[in-house]
Amino acid sequence: MLRPIETFIRKSAEKQEQRTKEISQSKYFSSTMMGPQLGIGSALSKRCHLRGADPSKLIYHKEEATEMGGYFICNGLERLCRLLILQKRNYPMSLVRKVFRARGDGYSDKAVVMRCVREDQSGVTVKLYYLQNGSARLGFWIGGREFLLPVGIVLKALIDTNDHEIYVSLTCCYKERYQREKGAVGTQLIGERAQIILDEVRNLSLFTRSDCLKHIGEYFKPAIDGFEAESYTAVADAVLRDYIFVHLTSNHDKFNLLIFMLQKLYALVDQTAAPDNGDVLQNQEVLLPGHLISIYLKEKVVEWLRRSRRLLAEEMAKSKDFSIKDPEQVKKFLARSSVSIGRSIESMLKVGRLATASSLDLPQKEGVTIQAERLNYLRFISHFCAVHRGAAFAKMRTTVVRKLMPESWGFLCPVHTPDGEPCGLLNHMTSTCCITSYFNTEGKVKDFRDIQRSIQNVLIRLGMSPLLPKLEHAGPPEVLQVLLDGRLVGSIACTEVEKAVAHIRSLKLSASSRIPDDLEVGYVPLSLGGAYPGLYLFTSPSRFLRPVRNISHTTDQNIELIGPFEQAFMEIRCADGSDGGRRSFPATHEEIHPTGILSVVANLTPWSDHNQSPRNMYQCQMAKQTMGFSSQAIRFRTDVKAYHLQTPQSPIVRTASYNKYCVDEFPTGTNAIVAVLAYSGYDMEDAMILNKSSVDRGLCRGHIYQTESIDLAERQEKSSKKVFARSNDKSMSSSIDSDGLPYIGQMVKPKEPLYSTYDDLTSDVKSTLLKGSEPVIVDNVTVIGTASKNCMQKVNIRTRRIRNPIIGDKFSSRHGQKGVCSQLWPDIDMPFSAVTGMRPDLIINPHAFPSRMTIGMLLESIAAKAGSLHGKFIDATPFASSVDKKDGKERSERSSLVDELGPMLASHGFNYHGSEVLYSGFYGTEMTCEIFIGPVYYQRLRHMVSDKFQVRSTGTVDPITRQPVGGRKRGGGIRFGEMERDSVLAHGAAYLLHDRLHSCSDYHIAEVCSFCGSLLTATVIQQQKRIVQEIPGVPQTRTPKNFTCHACKTKKGMETVAMPYVFRYLAAELAAMNIRMELKLSNRAGC
Amino acid sequence: MDQRRSVSDLFNPLRPESNRNPPLYPSLIPKTLISLPKRGQNPSGAQKPPAMETTVSYQRFPKVRIREMKDEYCKFELRETDASMANALRRVMIAEVPTVAIDLVEIEVNSSVLNDEFIAHRLGLIPLTSDNAMRMRFSRDCDSCDGDGQCEFCSVEFHLNVCCDSDQTLDVTSADLRSAEASVIPVDLAVKALAMESSSTSYEAAEQRGIIIVKLRRGQELRLRAIARKGIGKDHAKWSPAATVTFMYEPDIHINEDLMETLSLDEKRAWIESSPTKVFDLDPNTGQVVVVDPEAYTYDDEVIKKAEAMGKPGLVEINAKEDSFIFTVESTGAIKASQLVLNAIDVLRQKLDAVRLQDAEENDFSELKAHLG
Repeated sequence: MLRPIETFIRKSAEKQEQRTKEISQSKYFSSTMMGPQLGIGSALSKRCHLRGADPSKLIYHKEEATEMGGYFICNGLERLCRLLILQKRNYPMSLVRKVFRARGDGYSDKAVVMRCVREDQSGVTVKLYYLQNGSARLGFWIGGREFLLPVGIVLKALIDTNDHEIYVSLTCCYKERYQREKGAVGTQLIGERAQIILDEVRNLSLFTRSDCLKHIGEYFKPAIDGFEAESYTAVADAVLRDYIFVHLTSNHDKFNLLIFMLQKLYALVDQTAAPDNGDVLQNQEVLLPGHLISIYLKEKVVEWLRRSRRLLAEEMAKSKDFSIKDPEQVKKFLARSSVSIGRSIESMLKVGRLATASSLDLPQKEGVTIQAERLNYLRFISHFCAVHRGAAFAKMRTTVVRKLMPESWGFLCPVHTPDGEPCGLLNHMTSTCCITSYFNTEGKVKDFRDIQRSIQNVLIRLGMSPLLPKLEHAGPPEVLQVLLDGRLVGSIACTEVEKAVAHIRSLKLSASSRIPDDLEVGYVPLSLGGAYPGLYLFTSPSRFLRPVRNISHTTDQNIELIGPFEQAFMEIRCADGSDGGRRSFPATHEEIHPTGILSVVANLTPWSDHNQSPRNMYQCQMAKQTMGFSSQAIRFRTDVKAYHLQTPQSPIVRTASYNKYCVDEFPTGTNAIVAVLAYSGYDMEDAMILNKSSVDRGLCRGHIYQTESIDLAERQEKSSKKVFARSNDKSMSSSIDSDGLPYIGQMVKPKEPLYSTYDDLTSDVKSTLLKGSEPVIVDNVTVIGTASKNCMQKVNIRTRRIRNPIIGDKFSSRHGQKGVCSQLWPDIDMPFSAVTGMRPDLIINPHAFPSRMTIGMLLESIAAKAGSLHGKFIDATPFASSVDKKDGKERSERSSLVDELGPMLASHGFNYHGSEVLYSGFYGTEMTCEIFIGPVYYQRLRHMVSDKFQVRSTGTVDPITRQPVGGRKRGGGIRFGEMERDSVLAHGAAYLLHDRLHSCSDYHIAEVCSFCGSLLTATVIQQQKRIVQEIPGVPQTRTPKNFTCHACKTKKGMETVAMPYVFRYLAAELAAMNIRMELKLSNRAGC
Repeated sequence: MDQRRSVSDLFNPLRPESNRNPPLYPSLIPKTLISLPKRGQNPSGAQKPPAMETTVSYQRFPKVRIREMKDEYCKFELRETDASMANALRRVMIAEVPTVAIDLVEIEVNSSVLNDEFIAHRLGLIPLTSDNAMRMRFSRDCDSCDGDGQCEFCSVEFHLNVCCDSDQTLDVTSADLRSAEASVIPVDLAVKALAMESSSTSYEAAEQRGIIIVKLRRGQELRLRAIARKGIGKDHAKWSPAATVTFMYEPDIHINEDLMETLSLDEKRAWIESSPTKVFDLDPNTGQVVVVDPEAYTYDDEVIKKAEAMGKPGLVEINAKEDSFIFTVESTGAIKASQLVLNAIDVLRQKLDAVRLQDAEENDFSELKAHLG
C-alpha cells in the first residue's frame, strides 16, 4: 500500500533565481575567489537547477508556478538573510555622540565617521575624532581594539609631502572674502588647527614620510599577525592599505579624502555645518545576502589560509623531505586538514550566527538569517521586504531610532511595521522601492571602474576641475568638492553645479549614455549651517532606490531612480500636482502614484486612505496571520505546520496592487455577507455571530497540515537497529499497515498508534502513539533515502487536522477589525431580508465603528454590494481620487465615493446607503431600524481555540510544592496570580479565595506538635494490632494514624492543622538553613 | 401529492384530531382565493376544547392565495394570521422539512487534488430529489438497520467510480453518481431528464454535465461509496430544502391626494424617483401619482423622508398590515416548492401535536396555559 515514493529531498541547494530585491552572489565568488579544490560545500556553490525555469517546468518539479526564489533551503526550511540597515558606505558622516568623549582625555563628542567598503564588500569603519585642543585622531579597529593615530602622522605617511602643502590643503576652505557669502564652511580657526596638527608630528620628531611610516610600523607590529618578519615600513604600508580608507587604492586619494574629512570635522566643530543624523535613511544602506556571504567567506578563507600557512611552516620545520615547491605535496598535506569553509557557511545560513572573532564591521553577529514562514503568501513575501534596524537597537531604551523619519518617505512603508517590541525597527520596503545590485540588468557583474571613469569624464566636460594637476585650492562657497564613491575627484564651481546636476540626471535617463540609471547624484547645496555642502555621487550596490517622474523631461523615458541621500535635497511634488502648501514650488520631479509609499501588504487594504491609520497597521499585521491558501504545491511540501483554507475566494473589492501582485493565486479570505447590528448581545465587545448554515456550506473551512519527520537512525543506539514494522498482533492492523506506517487517509485519534518500529536487538515491536488532543488524518507518507540503505529509516508523515470554524475562532476584516466568533447560529435565527430573503453570514456590532473610524470597511461593504449586483470587481485603490483630480474634468462628478456607489445600488432597487430593512429571525417582526448589510472580505486568522483552550479539574502537580503545574501541553492549570488574588480580596470573596488558593491547590493536613511548635518532627508510630469489637451496622472506621513528636518524645501535643503544602516545604527549607520555625497553636479563631 | 387536506386544519393544529372532518382541499390552482371560514364559524361544527371557551380564543382561520407556482419557486399570500405563525412556517421550511442528502462517504481511492473531507463535504451539498423523504425514516430511528445503506427505509446508496485516462482534465460531476434508487438522484439530473422528456430539442441545461465535484487529471482516480440519509436543515444546512424562504408584510399605502396635488409635475417625478424600487408611478393621462406595485415597497421609508425633505410631511402614509404576509419560497429542487410548503405545515402540525400529547400525558397543561397567559 505504499504510495509512489517521492524522495523529495531538498537539501541546502541554493535557489538562485534573482529577484530585484536580493542578490545572491555565489556566482561572484565561485568564479573569482575560490577554486573547486578548496572544497567549498558543493551544495552552496552549485547553482540552482531550477534557474530560469518557466512555470510549467517549475510545476513539473513540484514547485510553485510563481516561485521567485531568493532563499536558501536548510534542512527543509526556507531561510533568508535579514536585510540589515548599515551606515551608508563611502560617505564621511559627521556625528555628535557622547560616547566619543570616552575615547580618552581631551576627546570631544564630535567625529567624522566613514564606513569604507572594498569592492569585495568587506569594510572597515574609520573615525576621525576631534580633540579639544584643535587636533584630530584617526581611529579604527583591529581585532577587538581601537587604535588611534594622530592625523598629522597619517597625512605625512600617506604621501611625500611637506608641512606647507598640508597647511594649504587644509585651509583652502577658508578665505576672508568667503565669510560674507552664504554657505562658507571654513573659519579662520582652521589655520591654527592645521598648525597644531603639524606641531604634533614635529613634537614626535617625525619629519619625513619614512619617519612617519616607521613610527606607524613600530606601533602596529605587535597588533597585526603575519608581519613578524617584515620591516616597519612594510607593516605601515599594510596598515594604510588594509585599515585606512580601504575603498581607495591610491595614497593620494586617501590623502585628499582625509583633508576633506578634516575640513568637514572642523565645519562641524565651528557649527558652520550641521551634524548628520545616523538614524535616518538618508545616511543608510542595506546589507544584502550575497554581500554577507562574501564577507563571511572571505573571513573564513583568510582564516584557513592563516592556519594552513602555520601548519605548512610547522611541517617544513619538522620533516626534511617536505618541499613547499612541490604543489602535489602541498596539496596532499593540506587535504589532510579538514576544510570546513563550506560547512561554516552552511551553518551560518542554518543558525544565523556569524562564528568569527572580529565583528566583520557588521552591526550584529546573531540573527543574520531568518526563516521565511509560508503561513500565507503575504507573510512569505513580507519577509523579503523586511528591513531590520539591527538587534542592538531593540534593547535600547530610547525610541529615537524607532521614529518614522521623513527621509524614509517612499522607501520604507509608514504603515507596515509591527506594533509592540519591534515597532519601528522592523520596517518594510515600499512596493516601488528596490536596491541597487552588484549586477547589471543582464546579470553580469558591473564594471565599477569603467562606470566611475565615464562619470568622471562627464563631470570634467561639465566644468569640474580635476584634482590631480593641482591648480589652485578653493572651497565652498566658491567651489564644491565632488566625491565619487568616497573618492575626491575634483571641485566644481557653485555657479555651474546645478546645471551639471540637471545634465547628469538627464544622462541617467538616456539609455545610450554610459551613466548608469541607478547613479545617485547627491547634491548638497550651500546653506547657512546646514548639511556640509558638496556633490556626492554614488554608484555602489546595496543602496535604496525608487522611481519618480522627472518632469523636466517630457519624453516617455522620464522615470528616474532616486536614492534617499539625494531625495532629501530634491524637489518632488505629489502625484496630484498640487503645490504642497508652498507658495512657489520649483518641482523638478513628481511622484508616480501616491500608493508608491506603501508596502505590498499595506497596498492591499482597500480604501486605506479612509481608515484611521493605526487600523491599517493592524491590518498589515493580521493579513500576515491569516489562514489562506499558503501554497499551491502544498501536496509536495513538508512544512512543519501549514495552514490551509479550503474554500478561499477572490475579494470583490480590491486595489490595483491585488491584480498586480497576482494575490488571486494565493487568496486569503471569503466574501461574507456582513450585517452590522446589535443582535442578542452575543456580538458585544468585538464578538461576532457566524451563520452556522453558512459554515455548513463551507464558509471559512480550513485545515492544518503538520509534518512529522521520523529518523530512526538518529534515535537508535549503536548496537541495535530499528526499522519500521508491524507486529503480528491483529489489533494493530486496523491502523497500521504491514510496513509499520499508517494508512493514507486513515483517521488517527489521540493516543492511538501512529507508526510502529521493530528493534532487532530486543526484537520487540513498539508503536508510537499520536500526541495531542485532536484526531488527525494521515495525509501523506514519504519515505526518504531508500536508495542508500536496504531498509527504510527515515520517514515523513504528513497529517491533516480539520479546523472548521467553531466558537472562539478569530476572524478579521481587512480594516483591522478583528473579532472572535461567539455563536454559531442556524440560518433560521439570523435576521432576514423580506425582499431578497438573504440572511447574513456574519453579524458584527455597530460599536466596532465609532471609535475606530474604519470608514473603509463601510465603503467596502457598499462597494462589494454594488459590485456583486453588477457582476464586476470594484477598484479600491487608496488615494485614487488625488490622481484623478489632475485631469480636472472628473472633479465635479466624483465628489465622494458614496455618490459613485449609491446609484449603483439604487439602480437595482437597493437603498442608496447600503442599508436594508431586516426582520428578526426569531419573531418574524421588522427590526426597529434599517440594517447596514453587504459583503465584506473576511480573513480567518490562525489563532484558533482548539490550539489554545485550557481546562483542568485535577491533574498533575508539582512534586516539590504539590501545586498544580502550569502549561497547556502538560494539562496544567492557569495561574491565579497576585493581581487576581487582589481583586478577589477586594470583593471580600474570602471563601472563593480559600477555595482557589488552598482547597484546589496544595491542600495539606499537617501534624504539628503544640509543645515544641515544630512542623517537621512528627513521626508515625507503628500501629499495634488492637482488637476492635465490630459493632454490627456501624461502618468500620479507619483508625487514625498515630503520630508522635520526635523532639518531645510524646504524642500528647500532636494536633492536625490544614495548611498549604508549600508552607511545610518552606519550613523544611528553613530547617536546612538552621532556622527553626515554631508554630503557636490556638483554638481561638482570628488569633 | 397528497392534496386532500383541510386548510383550516392545517393552520389550526390545536383542534382535536378526532374531530377532523376534512373538506376537500381545492387543488392548488394559481390565482384562486380559497375562502376560509371566519373566526368562530367553523363549518364543520367544530367542538372547541373546553379550555378554549372560557378564555380568549387565539384560534384564527388563515387564508392562502397562491400567486405563482413553479417547480422550484412559489409565491403565495397568507392572510388573517399572526407574524408568529408566518415566521414559524418560514423557520420550519428552512430547517425542519426533511430531505435526503449524502451523509456518509466511504472513500476507496482518492488520488485527486482535493482531500477526502473536502470531497465528502461537496458530495453532501449536492441536492438530491427527496420526494419520499417525509415517508422515510431517520436512520437513528430505523430499527431494521443501523443506517449503513442496507435498509431501504432510511438510506440510499450511491457509488462513484471515475478514473481519468485522457490528457484532458476530467470533470467529475453529480452525473457520475450512480444511485441505488431511481427516485433519489441528484436534482440537476432530474431536471435534465424532465427537460429531455418534455422537449426532445436541445435544452440549455443538457449541455451542462451537472454539478462538478472535483476535476481529475491524467491518472487520477476517485472511487467511493456514499450513503444518503434523511435529515433536517437544523442538523446540517445540506438537508435544508429551501434556498430562500422569506415573507413580507403587505404594505398599506395611502397617498394624501390633496397634498399631492400641491406638487408640481417635476416634484412628483422627483418624489417617485426617490424610491429605489418602482412603487409609484405617474399616470400619463391625469398626471396623478398612482401606486403601481405596493409590494415592491421595501419599507425603506425613502419616499417618506423625501416628502419630509420637500416640506410635505404626511404626503403618503404607509403601514404594514399586521396579518397579511406574502411568502416567497425557492426550493433547492430537492422537493417542489409547493410540496415544501405542505410538508412544512405537516411538520409544524406534528410538532404541535407532540406538544399537545406531551401535555396530555404529563397533565401540566394548566401550567403551560398559565405560562402562555
